Amino acid sequence: MIELSHITKAYKKRKVVDDFTLTVHAPIFGFLGQNGAGKTTIMKMMVGLTLSTAGTITIGGKPAGEAATKEMTGFMPESPYFYERLTGLEFLRFCGELFQKSRAKTDDDYGALLKKVGIYGAKDRYVSTYSKGMKQRLGFAQALVNDPEYIFLDEPLDGLDPVGRKEMKTIIRALKAEGRNVFFNSHILYDIEELCDEMGIVHSGKLLYAGPVKAFTQGKSLEERFVETVEAHVQKEGGAISVA
Amino acid sequence: MTNIWVIAKNTFRSALRDKILYAVLGFGVLYILFTIFLSVISLDDLQMTKNFGLAGLYVFGLIIAIFLGTSVLAKEVSDRTLYFVLSKPVSRSQVIIGKWLGIFLAVSVTVLIMAAVYLGVIWNRGGGFDAWSLLAVLFELMEIGFFVALTIFFSTISTSLASVMEAAVVLFMGHAVSALLESAEKQGISGLGYRALQLIYYVFPNLEKFNLRNLVVYQMGISWSAAGATVAYAICYSALLLWAAIAIFRKREL
Repeated sequence: MIELSHITKAYKKRKVVDDFTLTVHAPIFGFLGQNGAGKTTIMKMMVGLTLSTAGTITIGGKPAGEAATKEMTGFMPESPYFYERLTGLEFLRFCGELFQKSRAKTDDDYGALLKKVGIYGAKDRYVSTYSKGMKQRLGFAQALVNDPEYIFLDEPLDGLDPVGRKEMKTIIRALKAEGRNVFFNSHILYDIEELCDEMGIVHSGKLLYAGPVKAFTQGKSLEERFVETVEAHVQKEGGAISVA
Repeated sequence: MTNIWVIAKNTFRSALRDKILYAVLGFGVLYILFTIFLSVISLDDLQMTKNFGLAGLYVFGLIIAIFLGTSVLAKEVSDRTLYFVLSKPVSRSQVIIGKWLGIFLAVSVTVLIMAAVYLGVIWNRGGGFDAWSLLAVLFELMEIGFFVALTIFFSTISTSLASVMEAAVVLFMGHAVSALLESAEKQGISGLGYRALQLIYYVFPNLEKFNLRNLVVYQMGISWSAAGATVAYAICYSALLLWAAIAIFRKREL
């Protein structure tokens, strides 16, 4: 279970996340919001990349950011950059060696993971020669290198071609079948609708909805309901929809 | 400790695959080979050959240290590759120390390659195996270790370009200030000017402590107690810089 309790994140006096509370039980949870809504900031706090100004976050009952918590989580950042002068296999080995529980892994284990994400054939090539889609797959592989219980993915399907998207979705479903929990950010409504058991809608750092996808759509399209919800919130706050 | 070593290995490997490093190393090796020509036209003045050779080792080693040290952390932050590292069970202090160690090892390898070429040149010019020069190289490496810590410290507070300039200023002042102070004392300068010079002397590191080249080349004798104090100075000052870099980096938003 992932629990965020009254989380606030402020840069100087500007609040980008404001008194945010969310409990996630669902195996696949999608976080939906416009660009700049605060999705990435919230995920960065969950994986320990940045500290919240106020509030607490626990992952599987352990405080976010602690070494023991990080041992059981995996994270893939949005549009990842890599160490371009390493090969795919070297990069994955480097990531694996940073986890205590993965240090005994062999190149065969890493190779199996690269096979799983479909770039085994390029394992000995420098990352600088990879296409955007291949880098996205490598980013996905490193998020799984420690066999995590909780996997956080920031826009995981961005930059993939249709075949790649299908393959990644298959892997996400397989992770669910293995009993792992996947939490991902997306601004692509279709991906949320197709993959998620539950979803959350975030706007201007505030949670507008959290729960099952079907309970939210109420027979309408997700896009229609998403726009309705955001517009209703904006009207209530007396502002305008901002696009970052 | 394991994470520091893993990060150091990764930094070392990436650095050694950098083409610019090989370009600088190539120039360094060419320069040292060029001292053969200097030796010939100076009628086999071995001391001059040693002086130029050791100075070349030092300068090209420093160029590589500046180039690698100032960009390593800034690039990780701007490229967000640190997201991969810091989302794993790794602390920010492990990142700083691992980066320092990796860069220091990479620069050391290139300096040792140049040192091997230098020893070959001296042997070729009839100087035999110049074991004492290795002591000068060791102290050059100590200065480079300090200097890498300095560039990493600057890269936590500045951009890559600004870090290069800041490091260059400290390098210049660190070598010039003790000579300036000595000169002021000889000329009997006192008052506010002398006090300002004294302040600068204490603020900037005294990098001349690491310069054993003249002592080695002219066989002027080395004070082992002074050498020991210099080793302690290098360790303490580098540790202080890394500690400051860690303190700043811990507060930095990524």
